[in-house]
Amino acid sequence: MGKVKIKRKSTLIDMTAMSDVTVLLLTFFMLTSTFLQKEPVTVMTPSSVSEEKVPVANLTQILVSPEGKVFISLAGDPDSKENPDWGTEPMRIAVLERAVSEYNRLHPSKQIKLSPQQKLTFSKINAFGVPFQALPSFLSLSQLDQDKIMQDMTRADVGIPVNDNRDLDHPNEFQIWMRAIYNSGNDNLQSAMKKGEGIAVKADRGTEYRIVQNVLDNLQTLKMNRFSIMTALKTEQD
Amino acid sequence: MAQIEQSDNKGKKKKGAQKKMAIHVDFTPMVDMNMLLITFFMLCTTMIKSQTLSISLPTNEKVENEAQMNKAKESEAITLILTTDRDENGRIKKDDEGNELNTVFYYFGQPQIADENHDGIIDDNNIKAERFIGNDGSVQRGIRKILHDRNKQVLAKIDALKADWRDKKFSPNKDINDSIYQARAKEIRNDSTLTRPVVVIKATPQASWESLIGALDEMQINQIARYQIDNITTVDSALIIDYLKKNPRK
Repeated sequence: MGKVKIKRKSTLIDMTAMSDVTVLLLTFFMLTSTFLQKEPVTVMTPSSVSEEKVPVANLTQILVSPEGKVFISLAGDPDSKENPDWGTEPMRIAVLERAVSEYNRLHPSKQIKLSPQQKLTFSKINAFGVPFQALPSFLSLSQLDQDKIMQDMTRADVGIPVNDNRDLDHPNEFQIWMRAIYNSGNDNLQSAMKKGEGIAVKADRGTEYRIVQNVLDNLQTLKMNRFSIMTALKTEQD
Repeated sequence: MAQIEQSDNKGKKKKGAQKKMAIHVDFTPMVDMNMLLITFFMLCTTMIKSQTLSISLPTNEKVENEAQMNKAKESEAITLILTTDRDENGRIKKDDEGNELNTVFYYFGQPQIADENHDGIIDDNNIKAERFIGNDGSVQRGIRKILHDRNKQVLAKIDALKADWRDKKFSPNKDINDSIYQARAKEIRNDSTLTRPVVVIKATPQASWESLIGALDEMQINQIARYQIDNITTVDSALIIDYLKKNPRK
């Protein structure tokens, strides 16, 4: 009887094809991705049939957390050929300087001062939201600590104060910021804000109306009556 | 695939030639790394591109004299009052199907608040309740049906226009076709010879942000050009309380 020889097969699996596929997928994701911006709160925007796109440049986004905390994130005009100062980071510094000097003018007894280093830190933050008084100490912290503070919605020193909405002669902190943004020197942003494309209000779908209305009321006081609302797409069927 | 077989010269062995080995490159670590990168990109991207909805609100400045105020004809006016049922913790209540309880109260014309026999119950409460529901096929439901019926003349014209737009009757060029359609649709929406409703949207403080956007959305779906967001009055709250007394919620 002849012995049956069992052939030993190699267990090596050829990974080349697999590698090809993954590289293709990787390329797809790299090319299509727009990175999530870091935000203090994640909100689910309500859905609407409106198909207007969110502009990527020259946008002031007002984020309202369900607790009523307000954050602002600014995007400048990075492709502007007319003026390099209209880019996001130089514009943020200009807005910060303008807002702080306005705050100091209105509150002579509680003036705040920022170092150039702190201003630079501010220009790197996507969504900011601390009261003016807390600003210098906040900007001296490490990024990790800043994030920790920003995500704690129970803290009193998180969120731009929006209450005490009276008139243009007595602006609250939110109104000081919005006016500083409007007058930041970036003409493209200013005209976008006039048309209403430059201001986007983002709030969670479950947020109580009175909370969002308080913010909208502030905008109305500033005569910024036209603005847009961030939504997610839906069809007429749902 | 990953190995390169080197053939020895037609079986002839050269003297002193080194033994040739199959070169095999192991791609497994490469695949591992790629998978990690893919995971990273997948988690960091936003696939849903958000959209925007533009609105304009009136100024906060007070209108001094009555003559400056724009008054809507009573027969055209519809008032929507948005509410959201919440529990004690402020969380939104849900119905049996898991839908959030966003209710729209509505009335036509003036609110009827008369209480002739002074029994604390409004005699002829003209408020009704509806829900935001999507279409069932092409049939409108919920508050959309109410608004649709009130704006029939405009919608009929727009539907005819839409058919022309789909067939590209205005221009073979897509962009020109779109812009002509938009301009004509706007004309129809603002055509004062048609009976068009004027919608006043009011929201209670507890109403969810979603319900307000839902109401604004209905304006867009139903091609209503004249609407405004207003503050809720005591009359409106009284009507709702009265309605809920007569039709208690489960």
